Formats: sequence, C-alpha cells, structure tokens
Amino acid sequence: MFDYLEYTEVEGKDACHDIEIYALSTCGFCKRAMAFLKDQGIAYRYVHVDQTTMELKNKAKAELNAKFNEHVSFPYAVIDGAQTLVGFIEADWRKTLLDS
Amino acid sequence: MKPIKVRTIAETETFTRMVAEKQGWILTRDKGFFDDLASGLQVNWNRYGYFLCPCRDTEGSREADADVVCPCRYARTDIERYGHCFCSLYWSKDFAASGKAPTGIPERRGCGDQA
Repeated sequence: MFDYLEYTEVEGKDACHDIEIYALSTCGFCKRAMAFLKDQGIAYRYVHVDQTTMELKNKAKAELNAKFNEHVSFPYAVIDGAQTLVGFIEADWRKTLLDS
Repeated sequence: MKPIKVRTIAETETFTRMVAEKQGWILTRDKGFFDDLASGLQVNWNRYGYFLCPCRDTEGSREADADVVCPCRYARTDIERYGHCFCSLYWSKDFAASGKAPTGIPERRGCGDQA
C-alpha cells in the first residue's frame, strides 16, 4: 500500500486475498498472526514498523487511520485494501480469510 | 544522554517474575509465548531504555510512553476484564485455572478508555 515501506513477501498456496500485515517485531500476537497465515498456506506481505524510522512509521499509521477510520494497533492486517483485522483473534482471522 | 545499561534476557525474565509476584498475577503459561514476550521486552529496553510493552509501539519518549511501560497502566483492568493483559504476559490466577487460551483484546491506549 505504501511505496515508502519495505515489505517482506511470504509465499503461500492460497493467494485468494491480498494481505498486508503491519506488525511489531517484539509482539507475541504479531508472531502468532503470521504463524497462523503461514500454517494455513496463505500468502501475505508484512512490515515490522518498529524497524522503520519513526517518521515512516507515523506516516503509515496516520494514512491507515485516515483510510480506515480506526485506531491502529498491532498486528494490523489490511485485506484486499478494503477490510482490516486489528489484533489477533484467531476465530476472526479464520472467518475472514478462510470462510469467505 | 545517559547510556543505557544493557539488560540480559535473564535480567528481563527476573523483572517479569518480580512484577507478577508483586501484583498477584502469574506469567503466561505458554512457554513459547513467554520467551517471545521476554525477548521483546529485552529488545525494547536495549532500544529505548525502558521496558516498553512488546505489543505497543513507541510514541518517541519515555514520557509519551509512560502509560505503556511494563506493567502498563491498562494491565490491572484488562486482567480483571479479560483474564490477561494486552500482550498476554500477565494472567490472572483464575484465567490460568480456566484452561482458556489467550487472544487479542481491545487496545485501550489512545481510544479514550482509561478505566
């Protein structure tokens, strides 16, 4: 979504959705969320925002906040550029990504 | 600026044990999760000079992050409401006894819910 951030691509057999994950490298639930995607074979790309500069991180958070009109906390997933998942609640991720 | 005294993972784990004991909480029973969170806390100490919650990002200073320095200002209420704190490092004894798995809970920082 943001060309000023460097995303890491993770391949998966399921590429039905375009998924971007904004995460903290220190966060346990961020790790759980990405492990869930990997275990389900879902392709995604991610960025650890704590490993970018403060300026870029705040710019991305402000733009996400403006686009989706919600507080940005982590993990923060953007699905097909239109829908979000905030925090890792496995049932919600499963419903959004596997049952639709 | 005063240099940061680097903390080891053992020192970080000791800190979490002391917090849990003092507050009457217990540490997450999930060993892998505990290791990730303790490592995250250690990284944050050595990066910022204070134990920023591993699941929150910095606002740029200790003063601005004061509410999310571990144990965070929201922990006690979150543990009462959900059984564990936002990052799930600390659990209530009842939650541990329930056998439930921790899950993401609503972020109250910056959302006007300071209770």
